[in-house]
Amino acid sequence: MKTESRVTTALAEMRNVSKWFGPVMALNGVNLEIGSGITGLVGPNGAGKTTLLRLLTGQIKTSLGGIDVCGRDAWSARAKDHIGLCPFGDATWDELSGRKLMRVTAGMRGFTGAEARRRAESVLETVGMAKRADRPVRTYSKGMRQRIKLGQALVHDPDLLVLDEPLNGVDPVGCEELNDLFRTLAAQGKAVLVSSHILHEMDQLADRILFICRGKLLASGSLAEIRDMLDDHPLKVRISCGSPRCIAPQLLMLESVKSVSIEPPSDLLLEVQNPSRFYAEFGEFAAGNDAQVQRLKATDTSTEAVFDYLMERAARPE
Amino acid sequence: MDTAPKTSTLAACSQVFRLSLRRQFFTRQTIVMLVLLALAVLITYLWSLPKPWHPDTRTAAELARQIVLPLYMGFLLPVICLGYASAAIADERTGETLVYLLTTNIPRPLVYLSKYAAALLLTLGMTLGGLAALCLVPGKIGLEALGIFWTVTACATAAYVGLFLLFSAWVRRATFLALAYALMIETLTGNIPGIVKRITVSFYAKSWLYESGEPIDLAPGGVVLGLFDPVTAATAQWVLGLASVGFVALGMWIFSRKEYD
Repeated sequence: MKTESRVTTALAEMRNVSKWFGPVMALNGVNLEIGSGITGLVGPNGAGKTTLLRLLTGQIKTSLGGIDVCGRDAWSARAKDHIGLCPFGDATWDELSGRKLMRVTAGMRGFTGAEARRRAESVLETVGMAKRADRPVRTYSKGMRQRIKLGQALVHDPDLLVLDEPLNGVDPVGCEELNDLFRTLAAQGKAVLVSSHILHEMDQLADRILFICRGKLLASGSLAEIRDMLDDHPLKVRISCGSPRCIAPQLLMLESVKSVSIEPPSDLLLEVQNPSRFYAEFGEFAAGNDAQVQRLKATDTSTEAVFDYLMERAARPE
Repeated sequence: MDTAPKTSTLAACSQVFRLSLRRQFFTRQTIVMLVLLALAVLITYLWSLPKPWHPDTRTAAELARQIVLPLYMGFLLPVICLGYASAAIADERTGETLVYLLTTNIPRPLVYLSKYAAALLLTLGMTLGGLAALCLVPGKIGLEALGIFWTVTACATAAYVGLFLLFSAWVRRATFLALAYALMIETLTGNIPGIVKRITVSFYAKSWLYESGEPIDLAPGGVVLGLFDPVTAATAQWVLGLASVGFVALGMWIFSRKEYD
């Protein structure tokens, strides 16, 4: 399932990509584009997320199909100029101090002397580690390691930032700081691909989401777009109002409303077939009636809910 | 992070080289090898002391035949090469840090070459340093032996490092493969009569030594030499040189194509 919204400028593109390891098919005919902004990659364990990230960062080759990053084959060294990777594992050269590690990483990207030092300091500041960078990395907490790894991915100012579970082990305040950083990078025109199995992380963070399961891309697009396309699962809307029993029959008259149930004392639960049409109809309805609406909230538009519906659809026989 | 990037592949390779050198030097391998070398030096010192049953002064040929060839060339040299070279890439794999090398913008063959250069420099430092320490203990006769052995040691080190680094790029548990090779191929095959031993590095190193060691009468005489059937020093030099280049080229090819997990 692919929504209408296309990526404006694709920084990375996968064309009919399949990858198998012996008899195991890890990825099956995946087509996708990743443009500037934050793209979430979600799926259960074993869905193929890590394989997709490894293919995109040129660690492994496709069995079929092709991958371009900024117009170059992802496997090539030139493509890696444009890629920054924050891998899942904690491992890094942890006998080095954070500062030394950052300079070494800048050095391995070909920066020398003062430029390598400048980049290291700048990126340490960006990830909030400047004051703690003189300790050996092996003494860092998990959250601090995540920040240092993120710094390693950022040091050469890549166009495509690939983050595998970047908030794993980071405290809530740190999560918010890092999410702000991702948004800032996205606002600068960079493509940020964030893989996560914690679906609610994506609700507020991602502009687009790639849902993946059993090696197949189930859906891609903005969460609202994907939700709208799930015809077989009407949108559930909860309305808190002053007189639910009075307005329930009137709401049933709206064409987009499939069912209405009352949830005492003051809530109505609606099933809505065409969300955008419903919102337009409901606006007119509320303006023309004394409905005393206090709150209107769609209850199943979260990443988690959409993912559940997609999984249910994928499990259904053709 | 706002200026146009001005980068140098050479500088990036140099960084990989320095990092590898540093990481490999500060390891347990270095401690183990220093201990082994210290033991070898102690054995050489005890050997060189005058004894009631051997009152004559020791000769350079005796030092070469009784100490340097069996203890150093036959054991310490391959062990030192094995310790560093087989761990160079395999340790990055098991430590899960290889991903950082594979996702830099350095072409993979150059990453491999940088690792080879680091492993070779470190190993040469250890093997030539160890040889010098071993030869200097008995005094003047050691200097004679050192003059004969150091070039062979350097070339054999380059070949061994090339081979064991190739193992490291090829399999995860490269040290076991390298140990098996050293025991089965270098030690067993290298000491049996016939031409099978011509697949070993030690055969060419010994052939070269026997010829260059003529001034001190290093080669064994008669039947033993006939059974060994050495090639000329020139041939040995060519084979060791080509083998080193070939191992490195093959390793670069494997490393540039392999998908590491």
